[in-house]
Amino acid sequence: MKSYGNGTEYNGKGKNRRKSTILFLAAAVVILGAVTVSGIFLEGTATETDFSRTNLAPGAGGLFGTDWMGRDMFARTLAGLSLSIRIGIVTAAVSAVIALLAGTAAATLGRKADAVISWCIDLVMGIPHILLVMLISIACGRGFAGVVAGVALSHWPSLARVIRGEVIQLRQAPYILVAEKLGASKLQNVRRHMLPHLLPQFLTGLILLFPHAILHEASVTFLGFGLSSEQPAIGVILSESMQYLTTGRWWLALFPGLALVLAVVLFALLGERLRQLMDPSSVHE
Amino acid sequence: MMKMRKRMKSTAAILLSASLALGLLSGCQGKDTSSGQTAENSRADSDSVIIAMDPNSEPEAGFDPAYGWGAGEHVHEPLIQSTLTVTNTDLTIGYDLATDYSVSEDGMTWTVTIRDDVNFTDGEPLTAEDVAFTYNTVKEASAVNDFTMLDYAEAADSTTAVFHMTRPFSIWPYTMAIVGIVPEHAYDSATYGSNPIGSGRYILRQWDRGQQVILEANPDYYGEAPKMRQVTILFMEEDAAFLAAQAGQVDVAYTSATYSDQTVEGYSLASYASVDNRGFNLPAVPSGTDEEGRTVGNDFTSDVLVRRAINIGVDRQEMIDNVLNGYGSPAYSVCDGLPWYNEASEVEYDPEAAAALLDEAGWTMGDDGVREKNGVKAEMNLLYSTGDSVRQALTADFAAQMEELGISCTIEGAGWDTAYDRALSEPLLWGWGAHTPMELYNIYHTIDGTDSAEYSPYSNSTVDGYMDQALASNDLEESYELWKLSQWDGSTGVTQDGDIPWVWLVNIDHLYWVREGLQVADQKIHPHGHGWSLVNNVDQWTWTERNDEL
Repeated sequence: MKSYGNGTEYNGKGKNRRKSTILFLAAAVVILGAVTVSGIFLEGTATETDFSRTNLAPGAGGLFGTDWMGRDMFARTLAGLSLSIRIGIVTAAVSAVIALLAGTAAATLGRKADAVISWCIDLVMGIPHILLVMLISIACGRGFAGVVAGVALSHWPSLARVIRGEVIQLRQAPYILVAEKLGASKLQNVRRHMLPHLLPQFLTGLILLFPHAILHEASVTFLGFGLSSEQPAIGVILSESMQYLTTGRWWLALFPGLALVLAVVLFALLGERLRQLMDPSSVHE
Repeated sequence: MMKMRKRMKSTAAILLSASLALGLLSGCQGKDTSSGQTAENSRADSDSVIIAMDPNSEPEAGFDPAYGWGAGEHVHEPLIQSTLTVTNTDLTIGYDLATDYSVSEDGMTWTVTIRDDVNFTDGEPLTAEDVAFTYNTVKEASAVNDFTMLDYAEAADSTTAVFHMTRPFSIWPYTMAIVGIVPEHAYDSATYGSNPIGSGRYILRQWDRGQQVILEANPDYYGEAPKMRQVTILFMEEDAAFLAAQAGQVDVAYTSATYSDQTVEGYSLASYASVDNRGFNLPAVPSGTDEEGRTVGNDFTSDVLVRRAINIGVDRQEMIDNVLNGYGSPAYSVCDGLPWYNEASEVEYDPEAAAALLDEAGWTMGDDGVREKNGVKAEMNLLYSTGDSVRQALTADFAAQMEELGISCTIEGAGWDTAYDRALSEPLLWGWGAHTPMELYNIYHTIDGTDSAEYSPYSNSTVDGYMDQALASNDLEESYELWKLSQWDGSTGVTQDGDIPWVWLVNIDHLYWVREGLQVADQKIHPHGHGWSLVNNVDQWTWTERNDEL
């Protein structure tokens, strides 16, 4: 909590870490947003086949080359990333809400509720993630619905555990105890005093769920238990590219793979920086 | 003298195979050397061959005819066991164990006489008792194939087997060509699959599940001695098979059109014609719901003019050039080129006539390039089995061609768990092709007690009638004519001028990398399934020279 005054002397370049972080955040959001939106518009192009232009290397075949059905890999990659990000948003949001509800309920509804919820958390965490995603996805009939259900229902426990711990700690905090003494009801307490305190943790947790969600979507699709093979998804692209690697068509795997890594890294950094911004302990950096 | 030479030969074979197996192991470790000059290979002898096959070809239940070996979804000769009859290269019927067969006037009794000089590899003679036992066992197990036409089999004497049928079944000789005869005295369904005893050309010497099968020539085989004394089958994925060929570790490796633009030094790309066809079912009744709650029928494809337009509006050659790299032939029926194929199935690609048919049917071109009739758009959702890249590409190409006709198409991958039900209302890309006219029956014949064929809603009593007559016929040649009439009799049928409930697109050539110097014997037209069919006659393969050192 060391103060650097107004912060301008911190790096001597005229802006502090806070400002550069905000800039970075804006840039990341713009990039990811652009990818998502352009991917939606490119979905038609991504599935268009042109058998006169099959298996072209990058250059002759556009920025990322073309595949064995003459589809433009640049359009497919963007559309795939976009689909991944959209699935990521939905699943991370659902997961985070489940985590918030479960975490708070465990901490506030008494010992029995806590035991049940903690047991659920342990249960879900005990099963290997990818296996659970696959099982739920198959049970829900695969495809878009299956993947969304699989990822959404398997990613909440770690965040739920964090929130539970946080709430338990909060309950003993003096200002909460005072509020209780002053006659504030449980619900009021949660809403007015606990949630605002939880928000930074929650938002950070939410954003840090994205990279997991996206990677798990891609892996489960790669393994053939997720999205259907005609959809332009990164997992589909990568698993298709496997059979062409032996014949030297490196571009089918390289660019989509790199793009996936970049998107995931961006999300991870985004979450990290957001934490720095919102965490009171680093507010003056 | 003869015997001694044989024994020496088999000892040599064992030694050589051992060294070969060693070589294989070390070959695996040195996979990164793609030049293929592994010293081990040059030690390979001139009467053995190593073949890379698809992992799906590995018989899950082992080499037991009662559980699908030879007579399963993908039919082929069982090699380890003898069969009563065989299919010749022109797919007429020849003899293996049988010396003669006849059928009673009413088609209900088949009498087969068999050779008396055949022994199982454990030394026991093969008699008609074994034949009867085999067929009764196969019928009882009925694991994979339909044997409901057989009531029971019995042995009249040691060389005469009699089959009592539940219904006339004129193409019984084709069934007899795929059922391997097992020994009654040494058959235990629990162990036979992994430890089969037969009387065929080869003996199962070793089976490493998930890896390889080693077959060795049967020294006491009653027919012509196999020229290839040892056959090793390796099960590997397509890309691994390609790498194995590049590394010189196999003599024959299956491959597909995906790899056909590659070259492998020291290997040539062999292409074998097949009836391994691909085609869409076009549900021939309007959309509705059946008693199980499934959607059955399709309002667009239920119009016969639409189905005819699709059949002549698809450019099969373009599809072959685009998707199969030229390795295929146009398909017009489920049985192109087989003795029961009716040439009337063939059609010319004619997009103008297709458009005219659609106009005639009232599907007029809308402003957006999609036809419509009474406000309904001409749309199809085309299904293909997910994970099969060739089927996906064929479906995509077909969709693109249909768009040009003004039919809007979407494509969707479906797993086989849901595909059968969904195909009742939506076109699905199927693969068929077998060495028996029963396939026509399975696809087009109305199921007893219902009003539809099995895989796609369709029914025509005239077509059914010809097929029933064909099965009841007691003359095989005559039944071919009836099978042809069931396809087109001059006024009705399942061809372009008839009901055309399925549109057939291509026959996919089966492709293999074959090491130079290996003479693969003439192949029968390959059925569906890119696996054991190739080695039906592996006993007749020869090496002109072994030039492994490249």
